[in-house]
Amino acid sequence: MNKENDILKWFNGEISLEEIKKRYPQEDFSSLEKLGFYSKQIDIPKIDAQKALEDFKTRTFKKDETKVISLNFKSFLKIAAIFVVMLTSSYFLFFNNTKSYSTEIAQTETLSLPDNSEVILNAQSKLTFNKKEWKQSRNLNLKGEAFFKVTKGEKFTVKTDVGNIQVLGTQFNVKERANYFEVKCYEGSVRVTHNNKTTILTTGKAFRVVDGEIIETKDFYAKNPSWLAKESNFDNVPLWQVINELEIQYDITIKASNVNVNKMFSGSFTHTNKNMALQSVTIPLKLSYKINSKKVEFYNYEKN
Amino acid sequence: MSNPKHKLCDESYFNNFYLEHIQAVNNFAFYKCGDKAASLDYVQDAFAKIWENCSKIDFEKAKTYLFTTVNNLFLNAIRHQKVVLSYAKESPYIDKTNQSPEYLLEEDEFKKKLLSAISDLSEEQREVFLLNRMEDKKYREIADLLNISQKTVEKRMSAALKILRNKVDNLKV
Repeated sequence: MNKENDILKWFNGEISLEEIKKRYPQEDFSSLEKLGFYSKQIDIPKIDAQKALEDFKTRTFKKDETKVISLNFKSFLKIAAIFVVMLTSSYFLFFNNTKSYSTEIAQTETLSLPDNSEVILNAQSKLTFNKKEWKQSRNLNLKGEAFFKVTKGEKFTVKTDVGNIQVLGTQFNVKERANYFEVKCYEGSVRVTHNNKTTILTTGKAFRVVDGEIIETKDFYAKNPSWLAKESNFDNVPLWQVINELEIQYDITIKASNVNVNKMFSGSFTHTNKNMALQSVTIPLKLSYKINSKKVEFYNYEKN
Repeated sequence: MSNPKHKLCDESYFNNFYLEHIQAVNNFAFYKCGDKAASLDYVQDAFAKIWENCSKIDFEKAKTYLFTTVNNLFLNAIRHQKVVLSYAKESPYIDKTNQSPEYLLEEDEFKKKLLSAISDLSEEQREVFLLNRMEDKKYREIADLLNISQKTVEKRMSAALKILRNKVDNLKV
């Protein structure tokens, strides 16, 4: 082992040949010496460095620093897009607290709110509210007509495009149709805000806006809105509004171009019999009507 | 180019680096594979890799990277060429005074055996042995160059010497 180490040292130039011969007088180092000597004479290919460099420069290289960066950027975008999609979809799946109910023509729906308040939606109406925020603020958005039985509690607000209705606990009906807005209070008191003006309605009072103008109304004595009993009741209401209501309840279109639609109508029509309903509207106003499947035409029979 | 790391990407710097190391690294490749054409191919490929990745390589480690790359390219080569070594022309004999034909013949015979013995060494032993012999490199320097420990270099050197000595001695008999 020692001898091997010394031979290594000799080849590494740490000790001389004389030294190693002295240490191991018995050993014949001649072949190692020759081997070491001749192995230095092996022919090494000489490189013409300049020529090799010129050859090297003719190669084509694929330097792809920028490519790498853009690739990373793309994959980052991909991941980001996946995250956005996942987050939004999971938001809508798990955190969508907006509840929405709507009714079609000639349909009513009864629903209860999280606080056990009851809402009855009349035909072609839509009600939305936020389930999560319901405990803090009882806010509803309404398009169309609905009757509310509100249990006592926090402020209860019904928002419509025309005005807001605020109550604590009561029963009231809201009707918001094209150019027509009506709130009727059946129990307790209701605060109606319209164009920044506040009106307080007590039991039996109504608030009506037609074509943007507030109309005076008589008190009423009914306990429930008439449409709950499958009847529409009108008190001094223009004919066009009655026609709108007929169209909604019976899924018909009424042509009344030859008739004065601003005539006032007081009375009611049923939701169960189309002919009876049409008659109960037309006869008091001295009108007649023609039915052509889903199209109905009103005309003045005196002229014919 | 203020970043020293990217110095290699500077063409004039790279050219100097190339000219400075081409001979040494080519020798190294030649010791490994014993094929003149193939060794230059490995070297050029290794330089190409450095040029392509210049921004990623620390210029202080570029030399080590160069030798390591040649080493890896050699290992990756599917088919190893047969080692073909030869002596330089006009190489002197160990005893310059003795010119007797008998002696010269004996020495030529010895040289022939030695050459084939070196060719038969493993490529790891050969590279260590020849780096030490041909370039008078210390074991420490070889270890740094190959990125291995000095102990490993010594082991390989020792093994190479043992094999060579046995072969030339046996043939002599």
